[in-house]
Amino acid sequence: MKTGGTGAAFSGKGLRKIYVTGETEVHALRGVDLAIEAGEIVVLLGPSGSGKSTLLNIIGGLDRPTEGELFYRDLRLTGMPESELTRYRRENIGFIFQFYNLIPSLTAEENVRLVTDIADEPMDALDALELVGLGERAQHYPAQLSGGEQQRVAVARAIAKRPGVLLCDEPTGALDSATGVRVLETLERANRELGTTVLIITHNAGIAAMADRVLHFLDGQIARVVENENTIEPGEISW
Amino acid sequence: MNALDRKLLRDLWRMRGQVLAIALVLAAATATFVLSVGVYGSLTETRDAYYARNHFADVFASMTRAPRSVVARVGEIEGVQRAEGSIKQFATLDFPDRNVPVRALINSVDEFGRTQLNQVTLRAGRMPHPGEAGEVVVDEAFAEANGLGPGDSLEALIYGSRQRLDIVGVGLAPEFIYSIAPGDLIPDNERYGIFWMGRRALEAATDRTEAINSLALTLERGASQEEVIRRIDRILDPYGGTGAYGREDHISHAFLDNELMQLDAMTRVIPPVFLFVSTFLVYIVLGRMIRTERTQIGLLKAFGYSGRQIGWHYSKFALAIALVATLLGSLAGIWMGQGMTRLYAEYYRFPFLYYHISPGVFLAASGLSLGSAGLGALGGMRSAITLAPAVAMSPPPPPVYRAGAIEALGRRAGLSAIGHMIVRHIARWPGRSAITVLGVALSLGLLFSTMQFMDSSRTMLDSFFFRAQRQDLTVSFTEPRNEDVLFGLAQIPGVLRVEPTRAIAVKMSNGNLIERTAIEGSAPDSMLTARIDSSGAEIPLPVSGLMLSRQLADQLQVGAGDAVHVEMLGGRRTQRMLPVAGIVDEFIGARAYAAPQTMEALARDRAPVASALLRIDPAARDAILTELKEMPVVLGVTERDAALLKFKQMIDDNLFTMMFFYVAFASAIAIGVVYNSARILFSERAHELATLRVLGYHRTEVGIVLLGELALLVVAAVPLGCVIGYWMAQLMTAMFSSDLFRLPFAPSRATYGYASLIVLVAALATAALVALRVLRLDMIRVLKARE
Repeated sequence: MKTGGTGAAFSGKGLRKIYVTGETEVHALRGVDLAIEAGEIVVLLGPSGSGKSTLLNIIGGLDRPTEGELFYRDLRLTGMPESELTRYRRENIGFIFQFYNLIPSLTAEENVRLVTDIADEPMDALDALELVGLGERAQHYPAQLSGGEQQRVAVARAIAKRPGVLLCDEPTGALDSATGVRVLETLERANRELGTTVLIITHNAGIAAMADRVLHFLDGQIARVVENENTIEPGEISW
Repeated sequence: MNALDRKLLRDLWRMRGQVLAIALVLAAATATFVLSVGVYGSLTETRDAYYARNHFADVFASMTRAPRSVVARVGEIEGVQRAEGSIKQFATLDFPDRNVPVRALINSVDEFGRTQLNQVTLRAGRMPHPGEAGEVVVDEAFAEANGLGPGDSLEALIYGSRQRLDIVGVGLAPEFIYSIAPGDLIPDNERYGIFWMGRRALEAATDRTEAINSLALTLERGASQEEVIRRIDRILDPYGGTGAYGREDHISHAFLDNELMQLDAMTRVIPPVFLFVSTFLVYIVLGRMIRTERTQIGLLKAFGYSGRQIGWHYSKFALAIALVATLLGSLAGIWMGQGMTRLYAEYYRFPFLYYHISPGVFLAASGLSLGSAGLGALGGMRSAITLAPAVAMSPPPPPVYRAGAIEALGRRAGLSAIGHMIVRHIARWPGRSAITVLGVALSLGLLFSTMQFMDSSRTMLDSFFFRAQRQDLTVSFTEPRNEDVLFGLAQIPGVLRVEPTRAIAVKMSNGNLIERTAIEGSAPDSMLTARIDSSGAEIPLPVSGLMLSRQLADQLQVGAGDAVHVEMLGGRRTQRMLPVAGIVDEFIGARAYAAPQTMEALARDRAPVASALLRIDPAARDAILTELKEMPVVLGVTERDAALLKFKQMIDDNLFTMMFFYVAFASAIAIGVVYNSARILFSERAHELATLRVLGYHRTEVGIVLLGELALLVVAAVPLGCVIGYWMAQLMTAMFSSDLFRLPFAPSRATYGYASLIVLVAALATAALVALRVLRLDMIRVLKARE
């Protein structure tokens, strides 16, 4: 099920998500149609509560839509039992979060191994760390690494299993610009060298410049889609 | 109610599982405390009131036969307040429809109500009328066991002649709170009764006009019991006195005392274990609570709450747990105490048994719980007080992990990343891990040390009933006989073997250590008796000198090779120094043994037979018993199997009830410790567990992170628990042993296994319950938040 070539990675139709908390209903997604090509870099932009994270979580198999259908290649994610969703994540998805979510009791290398231990044809954990420029710091614990380094370990952890898709929720949100650029460069490199489809949620409109396409979210819907003719390198992004 | 108190109530409710788990452990401490102190108090108070009301004597003496005038002489001894003489006579009773022998001890009472000491409390009917020959009062336990009451009558063989006894009353006396037939180990109310008969009537029946064979007296305050006893012995010497003795050697008093001592031992061993564990549980739970609420603490301080106010707020959390525990524990203690008192009432006969717990007991119990919880809260309180607001409001620094010594082992063992997570987390919180291990180990220890009492009883039973006593029947005679009587017994069809035994009552001393005991002897070629030591080995009788039971040797502080002074009580009153040839590690009683030639040299007679041991053909049992019942020389017959059955029944009654409680209590500790550890672990690791789920780990795999750590700690606790249990069991068997019997320490491997299994099951079930939360883990919510 590994991907890397061309063709549709995700296709979704009429995706709705309603959260019921107590007596109030929150409509997080109000009918989203979606088509993401394999090997694309897609940036999701929009204000807080516009539905970006909800969509990313549904794509990542962490959440289920209330309505609608979603396919990953020819795999129907909607209606999949929990254990299959877990397997889907295990085999296809790499996650990167704003707050890194490293396991503090494991070294950088072991944090990566956490994923390579259960993947089918993973990279070597050390190679993955080399790829993000942290080969030297493999034996350090999270508490001994800077924020940017921790996020790069998270990136290494995400790419080490050669996932078809990288889902990044505010990957640079907690970083300064120089560190943020390094992280984005790593993502771009994974996309270029491994053909990984990359979806990035961000509040930083500058990042949109490196995307093939930008999805603008408003009120639980995709308000507009902007195709980028001339993508730029992460280093050129104005922060 | 102010806002902080409202927070307290909500915190208590939110953490109700953990609060309850700690409260249960603490409640177990309160319950055992209230139970043992309460029952101890009730029993002591009841006994003392009973003794005082019925004038229980201070000193007792018996003799072959003395003129009644001797009472006045004894009464004149300085320090004696009041002396009374009486007749005590064993009799056999004839129940026509039963062939099992029934014995009674008939006591004389003054028909005119002039008896002052060891007074009988009537439960039904009346005392015997003057001049009415066959009127008796029977003890309540015997009456109940045999369905007798005023108006019934019995045939009895008293002093060689048959007599009809008319029951006119049912009563109790402080001399017989615990009554066992001579040679028996536990009461058998069906086969042994205490009777009271008018003095004149008993004098006539036993040919003892104006004579007595028993004395009881009370002492004046401050009198020297030792001196009084010495002078009584001098007076009674010509009358075959067997030596006066104080309450401590009185069989009923000694058994009751033994029970009280065991209760006291229980109070001193068991509640402290629970208190200790609860203190640590409060410590870790409150510690964790304060770590998670550090931002709130910072905020409160920023608002102007003082450190002391916040410290007090968190202490109240601990104190609330203690209050819940005191309430639960007191109720459980009262309930269990009532049950235990009922159980005592079956073996110890009181006219009234007040189950009454003084308010002081509850105060002390709540003091202990509050103290234990308060002590546990100190650590958390201190950190809450000292936390600087600015530091508190910033997120805590990430925990620092280091590769330690365990790490090297782990690497060699090729641990997976998950394995590393488990091992490092344990090493990161060594204190808490140690508390979990120690808590579970203590629960196992407590369980083991109580469960091994079953092994102990079984060993005692086996050694006493199957190896030391190989006879089927023990036949005692109305008075010592010569060996001809043995031939008579051997003639009965179905009797396979007859052996004589004898016992000489002696006073044995080493310097100023004096013990009243008996030297027992058996035929040199005896096949029906043996002396079995604690290791199960059979010890032969020494050719010369004495063999002492460990108990007696300890009391006299002598060992093999020493010599003891032996004075025969009654008979020729021979005195001599005898060497201690050996010590036998026996469980029951303080006794001495000697070969027949040693006995003869001491008694200076041709060994008369006091009782005979019989091995019989089981098929002929009924016929043999019927025949024995007809023999005038036979006073009583003890059946080994009946005694064994009684003993087993007592173990079932008492031990099983206790065992049920202790399994529950020990499980409470295991559950309390594991539940709290698991909850804390889960709250600390929820973030990591959610991360693993997101990374594609299945629920079961994630559950392993949680359960793996607990399982490792619980499994590590098992060997430690066995060691603690071994040690506690030794302490407890030593504390539960008394002058009457020593408990063997003989834990079986199976008991280690059962105790471990119960604790493991309780621990893992509890952990699994918490692990179920992994199923409900909200991956998204957890990952959105910074830890």
